[in-house]
Amino acid sequence: MFCFQCEQTMRPESGQPATAAGCATAKGVCGKGEATADLQDVLIHQLKGIGQYRTRLGALGRPDHEADSFVLFALFTTLTNVNFNRTRFVALIAEAAQIRDRLRAAYEAACQQAGLTPEALDGPASFVPADTLSGLLAQVHDAIGAVGVRAGIETVGADVIGLRALVLYGLKGVAAYAHHADVLGERRDAIADGIAHALDVLAGDPADLNTLLEEALALGRCNFVAMEALDAANTGTFGTPAPAPVRTTPVVGKAILVSGHDLRDLAAILEATRDTGINVYTHGELLPAHGYPKLRAHPHLAGNYGGAWQNQQNEFSAFPGPIVMTSNCLIEPQPAYRNRIFTAGPVGWPGLRHIDNGDFSAVVQAARALPGFAATEPERTITVGFGRDAVLSVAGKVVDAVKSGALKHFFLIGGCDGAAPGRNYYTEFAEKVPADSMVLTLGCGKYRFNTHDFGTVAGLPRLLDIGQCNDTYSALFIAQALAGAFECGVNELPLSLIVSWFEQKAAAVFLTLLALGVRNVRLGPTLPVFLTPALLDVLVNRFAVQPITTAEADIEAALHRQAA
Amino acid sequence: MPDITLLTRDGARLEFPCAETDNILDAAETAGLYLPAMCHEGTCGACHAHVAEGCYVPGQTGAGVLADAASGGVLLCRCRPEGDLVIQVPYAQTDIRHQRVPQREATIVSLTPAGSAAVAVTLALTPDPALGAAADFVPGQYMEVSIPGTTIRRAYSMANLPNWDGRLEFLIRLVPGGAFSTFLTEQARLGDRLQVRGPLGRFMLDETSVRPRCLIGGGCGFAPVLSMLRHLADFQDMQPTTLIFAANREEELFAAAAIRELEVALPMLTVVLSVWHPRGAWSGFTGTAADAFAAVLDQAEPFPDVYVCGPPKLLESVLAVASARGLPSAQIFTEQVQPR
Repeated sequence: MFCFQCEQTMRPESGQPATAAGCATAKGVCGKGEATADLQDVLIHQLKGIGQYRTRLGALGRPDHEADSFVLFALFTTLTNVNFNRTRFVALIAEAAQIRDRLRAAYEAACQQAGLTPEALDGPASFVPADTLSGLLAQVHDAIGAVGVRAGIETVGADVIGLRALVLYGLKGVAAYAHHADVLGERRDAIADGIAHALDVLAGDPADLNTLLEEALALGRCNFVAMEALDAANTGTFGTPAPAPVRTTPVVGKAILVSGHDLRDLAAILEATRDTGINVYTHGELLPAHGYPKLRAHPHLAGNYGGAWQNQQNEFSAFPGPIVMTSNCLIEPQPAYRNRIFTAGPVGWPGLRHIDNGDFSAVVQAARALPGFAATEPERTITVGFGRDAVLSVAGKVVDAVKSGALKHFFLIGGCDGAAPGRNYYTEFAEKVPADSMVLTLGCGKYRFNTHDFGTVAGLPRLLDIGQCNDTYSALFIAQALAGAFECGVNELPLSLIVSWFEQKAAAVFLTLLALGVRNVRLGPTLPVFLTPALLDVLVNRFAVQPITTAEADIEAALHRQAA
Repeated sequence: MPDITLLTRDGARLEFPCAETDNILDAAETAGLYLPAMCHEGTCGACHAHVAEGCYVPGQTGAGVLADAASGGVLLCRCRPEGDLVIQVPYAQTDIRHQRVPQREATIVSLTPAGSAAVAVTLALTPDPALGAAADFVPGQYMEVSIPGTTIRRAYSMANLPNWDGRLEFLIRLVPGGAFSTFLTEQARLGDRLQVRGPLGRFMLDETSVRPRCLIGGGCGFAPVLSMLRHLADFQDMQPTTLIFAANREEELFAAAAIRELEVALPMLTVVLSVWHPRGAWSGFTGTAADAFAAVLDQAEPFPDVYVCGPPKLLESVLAVASARGLPSAQIFTEQVQPR
């Protein structure tokens, strides 16, 4: 096993070289076992093979949308804290082999029809996986030891490996966003083509830094389309988010908790529990669901329970009903709730019930058998739903406030939360933002400060919750609209981006920011270990990316930069 | 009041006060720490720990339960402090519960013989406003069952799967003169209500392991093993798995129909029925559970994860075989059955 894709991966101890970073033991920090990690490497190797054929088929005007959906789903299963179930990967690897073979046949037929000689593709395109778990593990260790993310480092060096990793992890993030859009029926050729292209590039083991950097920026642009598609999917299906109070305390009665990011699964659970007397609570990144009119219309969408993902072992233990995990971030389920947590979509853990057909009746049955909340606690609420339309509906007021000097600066504090102590920075930052500045937030990092009373600035709420990390499009849309209103570029706005990353969707958003030319992004709580000093130099010189320092100093620097 | 410091296997320190008149286990529970324990009578050994510092009264313990009393070994349900104590416990912090173990009422809904020496008992949990209706446990765990009208309670592992209907199935060995055996054979009737406490226990499958598995059940120690196998069948597990079901005589083996169902549902399951003293023409393995286990290990490549539940002597002999063959102790999971 070798994996260094997330923020919490093993870091070198003092005295060890930087190359010692990464999880290379029997179990990663996230809880992913060696076999699962190795099988994920094999699956990604195969997806590269699919990308090789899919790119060529696309060029011949013969895309395969079923294969595109599979690639999105399969990549999503390999994100941090999504799927830990090796049996699932054995099945996905077998399915990937079938799809690759189908694409190969289609490619050869298309070439024949067009009077062309098909390219003889090697590498991942010709890889034949074993059909059993033990056979696959033997392949990883013997025949194809070179499928992992660090393969070839002895010849190409750590910079190339780091940039390949950035492309691969960005790709995973794009796939996650695109999958959420895909299941709601929003697809874009540019996404499928972009993903296939990146997989095809990676299949060729590129060693040129410029080629890789261009591919990374292309993926950033691809991710902008994916986020636009997801925004269209969510607002098209569930309506335009509007500011709404969300109850954060329980009400008496039977209860189901829905975590992850998938609004479609939440909607299906709300339908399955309609008129049953069972209340549905959101958890973690599903909090913003309360802003969508068509979800909010369900009277039994009772509130939000708990905080960000890393507290789930305590929160799920205490929740008196079943729990459904619809996407990341899942951590090792405790015996106290192992029977009553269900996984859906790309998520999995050995020995947990999985629902992959949208039929949540088993969850309803569990909710009826479990006690539910015995009492109603005094009501407390927070406000969510400041999506792009809600914010831009007051754009005139915002622009006037900035021009009058009543509103000096915007801080977008967005991204993931995590357990590392360094993440207190984000709490502190939000609390120390000057009173004449506004805080925009998205992602689960907000749980570090969203119960704090921020009050108002220039008659506007000082904290605006834009939504999930999946709603980054909304934030970029707001930034671009403000730039339009001020007749300047995004970089000239009194806006600072304070990004906390944990997993690969953040890598995709990061690439999008770079591709859009957004400068001065503050990245933390630590930088990805796969970025070497040389790669960081490139990011600093070309894009003015900066690591976080202290909340005071970074606030000061942001305000100073604006003044300068 | 003396202060007690518990050091867990994973290095956590937990502190709570304990009066000199109290035992450590009760004091921990008063402080909201529910330590692994079973009989609370000094006879099962489940709360075994080791005093590293301090003076104490060890209390009365059952014969042979405490082999290391001279070097600080204690049973926390018996041990009372005479001053501050530092105690090492053989489990991790996550094995200590922070909620009271649920205690609730159940009704006997079925009583049927299981082989010549055991009874299969099914209980239906009474739906409870605070606890719901479900039988929520992890395969391998047990419940403490009380004899109505007495303070006597016994721990029995569930043989069935967790379910939302509140059904608990146990396989209970009949021991001549045993309190629960006497209750079952002379007094218990369908519809009788009794108190159950649980789920408890840390005997659970490591489902993230990719190694083959060997599950060993001796007599009624077959119950948690059966629950684990049913769980694997439910999830269409494909790991090579060996079941050793061991008894002294062939008529003590039971659950033939359940084993046949498992063989159909688990294509990678090998079943070894092992009888120590067969009387008739016996086509299965002849020998003890440990003999059968040794024969399985001889063919095993790689070494399996081993799950073993049975009486103390069976555990001892199986562990001796494992140790002699160099099986890593992290791959062995045990649960002890007290035949009484």
